[in-house]
Amino acid sequence: MRSLINGSVLDNRQIAEDIYRATIVTPDIAGAALPGQFINVYFPDSVKIFPRPFSIAGAEGSNIQLFYKVIGSQTELMSQWKPGDPVKILGPLGNSFEIPAPGTEIVLLAGGVGAAPLLFFRDRLYESGVKPKFFLGARTQNQLLLRADTKSELTIATDDGSCGSRGLVTAVFYEFLTGIDSPLTVCACGPDPMLKALKPMLENSNLAVYVSLEKTMACGLGLCQGCIVKNAGHNSSGDYSLVCRDGPVFNLRDIDFNA
Amino acid sequence: MPDISVKLGTKLTLTNPIMTASGTFGYGDEVSDLVDVNQFGAIVTKSLSLEPRVGNPAPRIAETPSGMLNSIGLANIGLEAFLADKKPFLAALSTKVVVNIAARTEDEFITVIERLDAEDWITAYEINVSCPNVKEGGIAFGTNPVVLKKLCEALRRTTKRFLIIKLSPNVTDIAKMAQIAEDSGADAISLINTVYGAAIDIYSRKPKINTVIGGLSGPAIKPIACANIIKVFSAVSVPIIGIGGICNGEDVIEFILAGATAVQLGTVNFMNPHAVGGIIRYIENYLQQQRLGAISDIIGCFER
Ligand SMILES: Cc1cc2nc3c(=O)[nH]c(=O)nc-3n(C[C@H](O)[C@H](O)[C@H](O)COP(=O)(O)OP(=O)(O)OC[C@H]3O[C@@H](n4cnc5c(N)ncnc54)[C@H](O)[C@@H]3O)c2cc1C
Ligand SMILES: Cc1cc2nc3c(=O)[nH]c(=O)nc-3n(C[C@H](O)[C@H](O)[C@H](O)COP(=O)(O)O)c2cc1C
Ligand code: FES
Repeated sequence: MRSLINGSVLDNRQIAEDIYRATIVTPDIAGAALPGQFINVYFPDSVKIFPRPFSIAGAEGSNIQLFYKVIGSQTELMSQWKPGDPVKILGPLGNSFEIPAPGTEIVLLAGGVGAAPLLFFRDRLYESGVKPKFFLGARTQNQLLLRADTKSELTIATDDGSCGSRGLVTAVFYEFLTGIDSPLTVCACGPDPMLKALKPMLENSNLAVYVSLEKTMACGLGLCQGCIVKNAGHNSSGDYSLVCRDGPVFNLRDIDFNA
Repeated sequence: MPDISVKLGTKLTLTNPIMTASGTFGYGDEVSDLVDVNQFGAIVTKSLSLEPRVGNPAPRIAETPSGMLNSIGLANIGLEAFLADKKPFLAALSTKVVVNIAARTEDEFITVIERLDAEDWITAYEINVSCPNVKEGGIAFGTNPVVLKKLCEALRRTTKRFLIIKLSPNVTDIAKMAQIAEDSGADAISLINTVYGAAIDIYSRKPKINTVIGGLSGPAIKPIACANIIKVFSAVSVPIIGIGGICNGEDVIEFILAGATAVQLGTVNFMNPHAVGGIIRYIENYLQQQRLGAISDIIGCFER
């Protein structure tokens, strides 16, 4: 059940270069949230009129957690949040990652702040008794959301080699894949180029790949039809899906990145 | 309590003057868990065509100062799916349902209306002759006086239902288009649809929406809408439904003073899905404060 409510900031702090973690008290959303879902944050702003979508990076008790990167005016405003500040939010929105059937191994793959929804998924997997492999990439060690983790088997890659292996996280991940011949579910979130680089993996029929997409959103509610992604393959219920309503999580086989 | 109901001519009364704007509230069912849809005086559905339309490729939306550009391209589920999937929700509403129709040809408009005329839960049609984002139909009907006249007359012959013609601001003389619609039998005029707009990303040098030029909406266009309402109010006697950039109760009162009998909320539904409740409360308070008995007392009553 979605609701539009005034949450309240419990904590908001910088945890990496340009990256912040906010904890917001919002019992209704925290209680309903599933990993992969997102919330809209509304700003009292008549110049920048769109709400801003953020993945739910954790939900515990009455609180949800966000990890956000400061890249423009509204994330700049968020970085100024102080404990006790009211925040207008709507959620949980969108669909979610699903825990695969027993016997299928699950791997999480994240680039940059794309780790946010996967942190929440990792929590839920861990609670269900699964300790997933987690491949996390960032440009430098200063931009990592995590450096060590007790709830996953964490492998880190940075572009400059300042932490973990040097290079793209997808390269490390492909190395791991070469040794695998049993069914595997991959859940990925990160910049578009990273997700596009996963397309060749679909030739391996042992793999199911789920990606969480980001598109500019005006409403987040399925009202404006703005946040489209082109359908591919057998998924032909229409030529486009809405990332806010039908996603943000898609089976990589069902979507066409190049359109 | 002051009276906030409005009469659109003699044929149609709304419990309040607030409607949804086509294309900004889906078919109403998308957000029925969040918003009490029956708070609106009427729901206007997304533009409907005979066959489904997939709409334009991405990117379709961009945020611009105090507004947004869109090039959705009238993506909709088509007449058949509309009646099969959306009727159960819409027919059960206590508020009135206005079906907005967009078509490529006069014949397509007539076919859709003939089919919808059999549905007794529909109160009115709003005819979209003003969409800037499609190659055929759309704005082509609403910018040429001869074409508009022929279409309106044909639609009037086809149906007895309440007929609203939705006009574009992207014309030299909107008052003339409104007169044509009135003379051809329209029961009301709604305005404005989106305003031509464009934006370019200076780093990629690409347009921010796929059609390059799209439709601007939101608070940025409110003064344009207000000017057009004033122009049309002095040119026609049928009721005007004011649209464009409304964000709050003050904006609604302003449009009613300019000459609107009712209004539609568009882009504000994205900025604040709960806008309608606050707007209705504001109107009631405003009327009480101003010692007015009814909202209809101030239609067009700005001091010249
Ligand atoms: C489902 C979803 C989940 C997301 N989760 C996270 C998250 O957990 N952490 C995080 O840091 N970011 C996340 N984002 C991206 C986040 O929404 C944008 O970074 C934010 O909107 C930027 O706002 P701004 O005003 O600071 O930047 P702006 O100055 O507005 O824009 C800078 C850039 O951000 C992107 N952007 C702007 N508005 C939107 C919008 N409404 N929707 C999507 N992208 C936009 C555009 O590409 C733009 O070029 C998510 C986006 C989506 C769609
Ligand atoms: C995303 C979007 C989709 C729209 N789709 C339609 C449509 O299908 N038919 C139509 O007549 N108008 C459509 N409009 C125009 C609105 O109904 C309205 O006339 C316009 O947005 C101005 O009002 P606003 O500033 O309050 O949004 C659309 C507007 C937006 C922003
Ligand atoms: S953001 Fe409006 S439909 Fe997805």
